[in-house]
Amino acid sequence: MIPVVVKISKMPSLRIDQSDLKCKNGCDYFGNPQWQGYCSKCHREQMQRQRKAEKASSATLPKPETKKPDRGLKITSHSSFSKFEEKRHRQSETLKKANLLKFSVFKKSSTDDHEHSSEKRPPEFKIPPQVNEGMKRDFRMRFPQLAQSRSKEPSLAVDRDCRAFVNSFIMDVIKCTNVMTVDELSERVQRQYQRFMKHMDTSAHFSHVDADTKELLMDFVEKHAMTYLHELPSIVFSPNGTEDERLDRAMSERIQQLSWVGERHLECRLDMNHAECRQLLYKAISELLGMDSALSPGDKLARVRRCCRHVLRLCSSSAPASADDLLPALIFTVLKANPPRLVSNINFVTRFCNAQRLMTGEGGYYFTNLCCAVSFIENLTAESLNMEKKEFDCYMAMPASIGGSAWAAALSLCGAAREADEQRALAHKLRAHTRTIHERADLLAANAKSFEEQIAKKVEDVLAKTPLEIKPRRELPRIGKFKEISTAPLIDLGTSHAHGEPEPPPETKPEPQPEPTVPQEPNITIQASENEPKLNILGFEVIERQSPSKSPQNLDQTWDLKQTSSLELLTPSPLGFTPFDSRSIDELMTPDDFGADQLPPGLSNINYDIDLSDFSGDNSIAEDAPKSDPKDPFSPEALKKTFDPFAPQTSRGYEALDSFDEFSFVDQRKQETDPFEVVHRGQDPFSPVDIAKDPFFSPPKQSTSILDDNDSPTSGCLLPSPMQPQSSGKPT
Amino acid sequence: MAALHLFHISTATFKMTSGPYNYSYIFKYIIIGDMGVGKSCLLHQFTDKKFMADCPHTIGVEFGTRIIEVAGQKIKLQIWDTAGQERFRAVTRSYYRGAAGALMVYDITRRSTYNHLSSWLTDTRNLTNPSTVIFLIGNKSDLDGQRDVTYEEAKQFADENGLMFVEASAKTGQNVEEAFLETAKKIYQSIQDGRLDLNAAESGVQHKPASPGRPLAAPPAARDNCAC
Repeated sequence: MIPVVVKISKMPSLRIDQSDLKCKNGCDYFGNPQWQGYCSKCHREQMQRQRKAEKASSATLPKPETKKPDRGLKITSHSSFSKFEEKRHRQSETLKKANLLKFSVFKKSSTDDHEHSSEKRPPEFKIPPQVNEGMKRDFRMRFPQLAQSRSKEPSLAVDRDCRAFVNSFIMDVIKCTNVMTVDELSERVQRQYQRFMKHMDTSAHFSHVDADTKELLMDFVEKHAMTYLHELPSIVFSPNGTEDERLDRAMSERIQQLSWVGERHLECRLDMNHAECRQLLYKAISELLGMDSALSPGDKLARVRRCCRHVLRLCSSSAPASADDLLPALIFTVLKANPPRLVSNINFVTRFCNAQRLMTGEGGYYFTNLCCAVSFIENLTAESLNMEKKEFDCYMAMPASIGGSAWAAALSLCGAAREADEQRALAHKLRAHTRTIHERADLLAANAKSFEEQIAKKVEDVLAKTPLEIKPRRELPRIGKFKEISTAPLIDLGTSHAHGEPEPPPETKPEPQPEPTVPQEPNITIQASENEPKLNILGFEVIERQSPSKSPQNLDQTWDLKQTSSLELLTPSPLGFTPFDSRSIDELMTPDDFGADQLPPGLSNINYDIDLSDFSGDNSIAEDAPKSDPKDPFSPEALKKTFDPFAPQTSRGYEALDSFDEFSFVDQRKQETDPFEVVHRGQDPFSPVDIAKDPFFSPPKQSTSILDDNDSPTSGCLLPSPMQPQSSGKPT
Repeated sequence: MAALHLFHISTATFKMTSGPYNYSYIFKYIIIGDMGVGKSCLLHQFTDKKFMADCPHTIGVEFGTRIIEVAGQKIKLQIWDTAGQERFRAVTRSYYRGAAGALMVYDITRRSTYNHLSSWLTDTRNLTNPSTVIFLIGNKSDLDGQRDVTYEEAKQFADENGLMFVEASAKTGQNVEEAFLETAKKIYQSIQDGRLDLNAAESGVQHKPASPGRPLAAPPAARDNCAC
C-alpha cells in the first residue's frame, strides 16, 4: 500500500503542470529554476530587496575602522623573556582578529564607499588636531635651536612647513591607498620625501638650516606622518593586497620550527654559560621584539640598531667584531626572539622609510643585516647549516617544543633574572615607601602627641586660671531674693573695673583671705573678712571668693555674698556671674572654710544641700528654677531665652554677648587682661567634658563682656557681683 | 642615528664653523670578500685606528664612517662591512643596493679567497649600478712570506676586469688609506663627468649642498670626538 501511495504522490512531479513553470510570484510570466522559480523581473526585484536588507544589517554593525591596534600588548624592552612566548601568542591572536576586522572593513568600504561616498572620505580622515599639537611640541623639543633661534620668523616657517607637509602627506597617502598598489604607494611616498627634501633645499624658509638639521627635519616629518598612518589599519602597515600577514604567520611558524638551531649550527661564538653573553642576547631580543611596538620607520630602525649593537657586542667579546660574526649572531637572535609581525615590519620599513636613510647610515646597515638574516631563515636548508640533509629533516620533523631547550632555558633564566631584578627593585621601592610612611606616621603621632600635650596644657592653664566656681544659682534667688532688693545692684561696675586689670590665675587654694585690703575702686565697697560671716548668717549663699590675683588689693574680697537680681531668680544664666566669681565646686564645698569657722553650721549645710540639688536638678527646691536649666544654661540660646524677658535694658549688653561668642574676639581682647575670662573655654571646643563637668565655668566670659560693654547700672543687676553683697552687707 | 644627530646639534655651537668639518657628499662603500680575508680589519684600520692623529678626517663614533677630502670637497664615507660566508651569499644581496664603491678583498696568503673573486665580481656587477667603482684589494701584504697569490696575477685579473688594484695590509695600514681614497676619487670623478646620477636613489651618493657661510651650518660634531 505504502509504495503505491508514494507512487501516487510522486505522480504529479512527473507530470509538470504549467502552473509549476509560472513565476512563483504569480505574475503570469514563466519562472526559471535558476532564478529560484521567479521570472527574471521578479527575481531581480527579490535580489535587490535582499541586498538592501544585507546592507542595512551591515550598516548597523559598529564600525571597526576606529579600532586601533591593541597597544597594551606591545612588548617593552623591560618585559621578561619568559613572557615573550605568551605575548607573542596573544599578539598574533589579536592580530588575526584585527585582520579579520580589517578585511571585513575593507570589503564593506570597497562596496559602500566606492559606490556612494567617495567624497565622504576626506572628512572622515580629518587629521586629528593632536597630531599637529604633538608635532609642535616635538618640534620645540627636538629643534630647540630652530625654535628659539634669533630670528623668529624663519623658524616659525620651518615649523609650519613641516606640519603642512605632514598634513598633505597623510591626506595624500590616505587618498591613494585604495587606488594604488603598495609598491606604487611606496614610490609615491618616496617621491614625497624627495619633494620635501627639495623644498628644504630651495625654500627660503630653510636657508638658515644646515644639512644635518635638514636630515633631522626629514626624519621628524617622516616620523610624525608615519606614526599617524601606522595607526590606521591596513594603510601602510601590512596593507591590503599584500601577503604580509600570511607571511608573518608563516615566518613565525618557520622560526618556531627552527628553534633547534643552535649557535654551533650557525658557527657563531656564543657562550650560553656566560652570564654577560646571556644578558646581551636577552637585551638584543628585547629590542628586536620592541620593533613591533615602534610606530614610525625611524623608530623601528632605532630598535633594530640597538638590537644589533647588543649583538655586535655579543660577538666582539673575544675579537673585534666583523660582519662575518654579526650576521650569524643576528640570525640566531632572530630565531630566538621570533619577533611578532616580522615580515610586516620589515616591509613597512622598506617601503615607507626614507630610502636615503635605508641605504646609508648605521640604521640602514643594521636593517640590511636584519633583512639578510630574515631571508636566510626563510631559505634555510641543510646546506646552509652545513649539515646532512637527513639530520636536518630529522630536526625539522621534531616537534617545535623540543628543540633549543637549552637556550630557551638559558634565556628564560635571563628573563627570570631580569624579572627578579625588577621585582627586587619594586620591593625596594615599596620598602622605601613603607619606611617613609612609617616615618610620617611617627611624625604624625608625635605631632598628635605634642598637640595633645599642648592642648592638655592649655586646658590645664585655663583650668588653673579659671577655677571652677560654683554658683548655686537656683537657691541663690530663693535665699537672696529678699536680700537682693536691699542690695545695690551698682556694684558690678566696680568689680568689672577691678578685674579688668590683668591678674595671674588663681591657682592657689580657695581659702578665704581674711585680711581686708584697700579697695581699689572707690565704688566698690570692699569687705573685710569679718563681713562674710555676717552675710552668711543672713542666709545668703556664701561664695568663697578667692581673689583672682595674688595682688594684695584684691585679696581683700574674700567672701562674697552672692547677690541675685530679680532676673537671676529665674535665670540660671551664667551672666549672673562676674569673672572673678569663678570658683571651683570644691572650693565652694569645703565646709571647713565657711562651715566650720565662719558660718553657722546649719547654714552651710543648707547651702550644701542646695548646691547638690542644683546640679542634679532632682531637688524639690529646684522646681522654682527655670525649666531651661537642666539643658544647657550656658549656651547662648539658653541665655537669650532666659534673658530676654527680664532684661529689656540689657539688650545692648546682649548684643555684646552675641558678639562675644566668637572666640577670637574674646581672645584678642581679653586674654591678657582678664585671666578669668573663659576665652579658653570657648577656644577649646573639644573639651565638652569640662563644660559638662563644671558648667559654671563658661559664664564669666559673658558676664565680663556685659560688664565691659554695659555701663548702665541696670545691667549690673544682671550680674550680681560678689561685691554687691559686701556693700550691702556692710550696711546690714 | 637620531641620537647621534642630536648630539651633533647640541655640540655644534662649540664647533668652529670652518670648512674641514663640513661635507658635501656621502659615499656608500661596501666591503666584500670571503670570510677571514680581513674586511673588518681594513675597515677598522681605515676608520679607527691609525688615523687618530689625522683628526679632521676621522670619525670615531659614528658607525663605519670617515670624512675624507677629495679635490677640496669633504666627503663622508659610509662603509658597510658584509658577511663573507658562502652560505650567506644568497641573502646578502641587499648590501649592494646603492653602493657607490665596492672594495673586493682577498687574502694573498689564501688562494681560495682569490679564486672566489670572480663570483664576488659577478655579484657586484649584477647588483650594483654600472657606475659603481670596484676596487680590488689583496690584503695581508705584510705576510709576504706566506704569499699564495702573486701581485702580477692579481694585477692581471684586475686589468682584465677593469678594476683598480692594490695590495694592502690592514695590520700595518699600508695602502689602506690609498685604496679608500682612490675609490672616492674615482667616484667623485664620475660625478663630475655626469656618469653618476645623484638623484637616483641607487647611486650610493648623497649630495649635501653645504652652506659654509652660514653660522648655523655647523658641521657634525662627531669629528670632534676624536681623542686627539
